[in-house]
Amino acid sequence: MSDEGGKASVGFLNEKESVQTKKKNKKLGIDDFSEAIARIAVAQVCESLGFQSFQQCALNTLSDVGVRYIREVGRTANFYANLANRNEGNVFDVIQGLEDLDSIQGFSGGSDSSHCLSGSAVVRDIIRFIGEVEEIPFVYSIPRFPVVKERKLNPIFKQTGESPPEEHIPDWLPKFPDPETCKDLIMGNEKELGTGINNIIQQVEEQNKKFEMPLLNMQQKLIFNQFEKGVAVEPEDAAKAQKAAESNPFLAHPLQFGEKEVSLPVLPTKLYDEAAGSHQNHIVMDNHVSAIEQSVHITEAAWSSPSELKGVRRNILLNGRHNVQFKFESSRKSVGMPIGHQTADTEKIALWFGDDHDEKDETKRTSKQILYENGENMQEVAHL
Amino acid sequence: MNAQSSQQQPNDGRHDDDAALTDFLASLMDYTPTIPDELVEHYLAKSGFQCPDVRLTRLVAVATQKFIADVATDALQYCKARQSAVVKDKRDKQQKDKRLILTMEDLSKALQEYGVNVKHQDYFADSPSAGLDPVARDE
Repeated sequence: MSDEGGKASVGFLNEKESVQTKKKNKKLGIDDFSEAIARIAVAQVCESLGFQSFQQCALNTLSDVGVRYIREVGRTANFYANLANRNEGNVFDVIQGLEDLDSIQGFSGGSDSSHCLSGSAVVRDIIRFIGEVEEIPFVYSIPRFPVVKERKLNPIFKQTGESPPEEHIPDWLPKFPDPETCKDLIMGNEKELGTGINNIIQQVEEQNKKFEMPLLNMQQKLIFNQFEKGVAVEPEDAAKAQKAAESNPFLAHPLQFGEKEVSLPVLPTKLYDEAAGSHQNHIVMDNHVSAIEQSVHITEAAWSSPSELKGVRRNILLNGRHNVQFKFESSRKSVGMPIGHQTADTEKIALWFGDDHDEKDETKRTSKQILYENGENMQEVAHL
Repeated sequence: MNAQSSQQQPNDGRHDDDAALTDFLASLMDYTPTIPDELVEHYLAKSGFQCPDVRLTRLVAVATQKFIADVATDALQYCKARQSAVVKDKRDKQQKDKRLILTMEDLSKALQEYGVNVKHQDYFADSPSAGLDPVARDE
């Protein structure tokens, strides 16, 4: 029997259906096996009647109806058995179930409520059916399913004769796993984390041109933590790590304090006066001020509206050295940097305004400015 | 006497029926239904029907096979009826359309007689305006 594509369906859908069926084939449901067997059996029955081919959805529907028939017969037979105060089903329960389902079509003697079940017309029809139809066994030999696996239970404290380590742990609970196995798991997790981070960092390198700074920041922290823990890396991994470090500057070992001389930044005098008063020093980006105009008015605007600063992300000065700020930018629009501030030692805070950005401001942006800002970010990245 | 004879006849009738049933169940073991036993047992177990007797599962399997055969026969008759209606117009098509295909259309008509209502979409469109006139689409 061949499988027709479905003459009623639209032509372009055939490709989609095939892709979908491929996707469906990958996801295995619980009943897929039994449904597939049912489809084969129904196809065999149809073929014996004279059908030469079928539509896939028609076969699925018919096999689904057949499965429902079996389940309904079982359910009804179980119901009648329970009604008669029994657990196990009887042949008469099954016959009653069959009668219930065939009552829609109708059978002789159905209206007689007190008829004998053994002489039921349903049974006689089945006997006649068997006599007429030739025997067609199922093509495949299938095992009993679902397969029940024997569970191997974890031993309890009492069985092994060990006493639990702590007093509060009763001895009928299962044993704790060996600490050595746990160590391997932790090591394995860290290794996986390392390789995962490498992959992510390679992606980030590609995305550097799009300037996704928050991701970079997080990855940096993760690497920092990993190397700070002093993980006992195997020699193979160390070689790999070294190779990776040579190629990727982000994987290089972090510099310890005092290794490299770094000059302390010098604040501009105006900001320095204000910083002396409070330990919070920042520049606020106002929504409504366009990037071009802000160069002069930024600082004035910032200090004039302290109430707005509550929503602003603040940086705390540590050891008198200003932290380097990362600019949070989306791929298309940047929050905008003041054109006047070129030096890296000045503090900047970028706010993630996102949708709050005024649309008018975008039109005022020039391509030159955006290029300039992108160039600034390149410098910042190089400093990391 | 009359009462006894009248009682005897129904008893004989019942005895015949019982005998027929037991013979039938015995003969079931020789007959292999197309639907495999394991599948039927799986679904019967799912619906809660417990029975250690293999003959009952065979009975259910045979009954299901009969049901599917009946539905498929009705669908086949619908298919043949449609083909003969078409063939009346042109005799040439009789040789081309010899293939009997189980379609959703025939199946839904056949199942409707058994109380199963299956409605099948002819086609799917990707947007509400697909297939409309360009004028209507612009609106």
